[in-house]
Amino acid sequence: MLGLSLQPVDFDLVAGLVRWALAFGVIAIVSIIVAIVTSFAMYGAVGPARVGAGLGQAVRDFTSISARRVLAISSLTFKEAIRRKALLVFVVFGVLFMFASWFLTGDSNRPELDVEVYVGFVFTAVSWLVLPVAMLLACWGIPEDIRVRSLHTVVTKPARRNEVVIGRMLGFSAISTLIVAVMGVVGYVWIVRQVPDSVPLICRVPIYGNIQFLDRTGAEGKGVNVGDIVEIRQFVEGGSKAAAIWEFPMPAGEPEKLRLESRFEAFRTYKGDMNRTLRVRYTLLNPAKKIEVPLPVFNVAEFSQNELDVDRKVEFKNEKGKVETFDLYKDLITDGKLTVKVQCLDRGQYIGVSIGDFFVRQLPDRSFAFGYWKAMFGIWLMIILIVMIGVTASCFVKGPIATLLCFCMVVLGQPAHDFMDKVVSGKQVGGGALESVYRLVTQMNQTVPLPEGGLATAIQTLDRVPSETLRLASNVIPDLRSFWMAGWVGKGLDVPWAGALLPSIAVTLGFALPCILLGYFSLILRELEAK
Amino acid sequence: MSAEPVIQIRNLTKIYRDFWGRKKVRALNSLSLDVYRGEVFGLLGPNGSGKTTTMKLLLGLLFPTEGDITILGRPATDVGKNEKIGYLPEESYLYRFLNADETLDFYGRLFDMPAAERKRRTDELIKEVDIEHARRRQLKEYSKGMTRRIGLAQALINNPDLVLLDEPTSGLDPQGSRFMKDLILKLKAQGKTVVMSSHLLADVQDVCDRIAILYGGELKELGRVDELLKEQGVTQIRTDKLTPEAIAEVEAVLAKHNAKVQSVDHPTNSLEELFLKTIRRSQERPGQRYVPEGADAAKPPQS
Ligand SMILES: Nc1ncnc2c1ncn2[C@@H]1O[C@H](COP(=O)(O)OP(=O)(O)O)[C@@H](O)[C@H]1O
Ligand SMILES: [Mg+2]
Repeated sequence: MLGLSLQPVDFDLVAGLVRWALAFGVIAIVSIIVAIVTSFAMYGAVGPARVGAGLGQAVRDFTSISARRVLAISSLTFKEAIRRKALLVFVVFGVLFMFASWFLTGDSNRPELDVEVYVGFVFTAVSWLVLPVAMLLACWGIPEDIRVRSLHTVVTKPARRNEVVIGRMLGFSAISTLIVAVMGVVGYVWIVRQVPDSVPLICRVPIYGNIQFLDRTGAEGKGVNVGDIVEIRQFVEGGSKAAAIWEFPMPAGEPEKLRLESRFEAFRTYKGDMNRTLRVRYTLLNPAKKIEVPLPVFNVAEFSQNELDVDRKVEFKNEKGKVETFDLYKDLITDGKLTVKVQCLDRGQYIGVSIGDFFVRQLPDRSFAFGYWKAMFGIWLMIILIVMIGVTASCFVKGPIATLLCFCMVVLGQPAHDFMDKVVSGKQVGGGALESVYRLVTQMNQTVPLPEGGLATAIQTLDRVPSETLRLASNVIPDLRSFWMAGWVGKGLDVPWAGALLPSIAVTLGFALPCILLGYFSLILRELEAK
Repeated sequence: MSAEPVIQIRNLTKIYRDFWGRKKVRALNSLSLDVYRGEVFGLLGPNGSGKTTTMKLLLGLLFPTEGDITILGRPATDVGKNEKIGYLPEESYLYRFLNADETLDFYGRLFDMPAAERKRRTDELIKEVDIEHARRRQLKEYSKGMTRRIGLAQALINNPDLVLLDEPTSGLDPQGSRFMKDLILKLKAQGKTVVMSSHLLADVQDVCDRIAILYGGELKELGRVDELLKEQGVTQIRTDKLTPEAIAEVEAVLAKHNAKVQSVDHPTNSLEELFLKTIRRSQERPGQRYVPEGADAAKPPQS
């Protein structure tokens, strides 16, 4: 998904919050109802009163958390992890990098691809080494504490169970942080030393835009789909009025120079001279003022970047041969938007474009280290999330089962989100359950759209009920897709805030409270006796 | 000493269940007793009689199957009560990778004590339980006796009003056991309430004001140690050593009063005897329980 288009999908924080509140609210209310009903069945009328008292106790426990106690438990956890030789993971890490230095030496002709390989290796190594360590520590901490009964001595002090849960989470997070930080530094030094000096390590800050297509007659429409397996890539026909138009939201500020950067795919309709040129032109548009400024034509460099700098003062010769001058900020950018039309000039050729292939590069670039540490922060967030889930699971089941549960959620559960996205966006061919039945009964082909009308709307609306329920349920499994940010770093791009960092932070924070609550109630409701 | 109950146990029953919720062991059966402020109370019983279960129920580590517990005026599951309780588990369940200083500091932090106070208390207790020579060594290197000492120190870190000691003397050599008993008496002198469990009779006899004898999860005897040991129907007269002629004369006098000398030596009845007798009686007539209501012996000690 990252390999083809780097265009990040911006995270909608408000929608995310609403979904979180909905999932949390539904689960909380259902749990309370179940608790009241079962307590009534078990103890009669005093049962629900006890549930109420328990909730009151929970409120008191959470409002009177003592930082000193939490820190005591977390520093104990940290010490314990070190005594359990968690830091041996550095030895494995060291050995891995020794071998990597031998096998991953850059002998390829494409040094910028090497950077991608190195970055990918470092991030893969760090995450796959820290992940099992964090998961095992988190999933076994409390069960061992219960098994050897050292927890008895703790909870017979005024330590609240939520303090135990939070303290454990913080302690395991601290040790994981130490490991990620050390590995991050080593990985960074390794990349810098591994990459030859001739290859710049950069962190470009792209501004991505919206895309729109003009067909060969110049009318609004889709690009030509030449049957590529990847549907998101559209093709713009050369030598016609066909074009792709991007609209970029420009940040405040007026730098002297902008860089337009693209990476298009050439698609040739005839097998001829592969070295034949494929010329492309950008045109800056101001639709409101009807200004069109064509920029110099250039040849598409396949498999690498096309870079074109635009000065603040843009000049061009019009049809009459007269030189016209425009100011980038006064004349061309309107409402903070820069509009650029991309056309292919060679008849019989096509350029394949997707939304993320073309962007405005903000100058100056950021340092490579900046992007690298952002992506490392993503790995760190993922580890923290795993620690929280592991500790929570370990509050109600033993170590091995907690590990299994945690593993299922963070590793095996991930495809569920791709699936959910498909179901919810209706991309699943043939539609939902009712629609499938309808098609089966009427023997309608799966790809033929349903006839318009009340029946179709009703079917599709009803079909959304289970899928929305499923979607709500799927929120229980953390969506980790945004946490992997190494793709951008490897490609020399900055890690986007709304596309990667924000959703990762939101998911991690979103899991914190439910995890702590679930862990707390598990410890409150069970006898801390090894069974 | 006052008659203010610190612990009230009413009809406490505990059935251990297995993972599937099936009943496994009835560890306690309808136990009722009170412990009063300022006394040293002994739970006496053979292994598996339910002493540890009782302690854990008192602390809220286990949940009762039936019955009620009030401890320091609060329900057993209330964490707040722990502020004034010290607990020494059966085997000191401490973190073996910490040393004595770190251990006491850790538990001090759980009481939200500021650093200076923790330091002072740690020094005090380490001196009191006499492990100064080993305070920087990890607990996993400790002998059984030293582990009990540090365990006791952590139980006292908060200067508790109520101390629960589960088998405080088990596994200790006579010297260690003497030390532990002296400490319990010292706690009593400071006005603290102590509940201890033991299967070692001599320990209980030495320090406890009142005892409860548990067998098979049931209360079999409850009362003041001295009263429980007093044999009814026997008069014991101690004199200086008598010659055989003198004994013969005493016997003649006794015969006149229709009494008979039962034994000439062994003047004391030991707790061991009482204990074994109680157990034997329980085995002969299972199901018979001691019911404290109205019994003099269940009253708090007057002194
Ligand atoms: N966690 C447990 N699960 C099942 N049975 C238990 C458990 N703990 C204790 N028991 C049983 O309960 C009874 C009382 O045990 P316990 O209270 O430990 O006795 P004591 O401390 O007097 O030796 C014993 O029969 C013991 O086997
Ligand atoms: Mg025991």
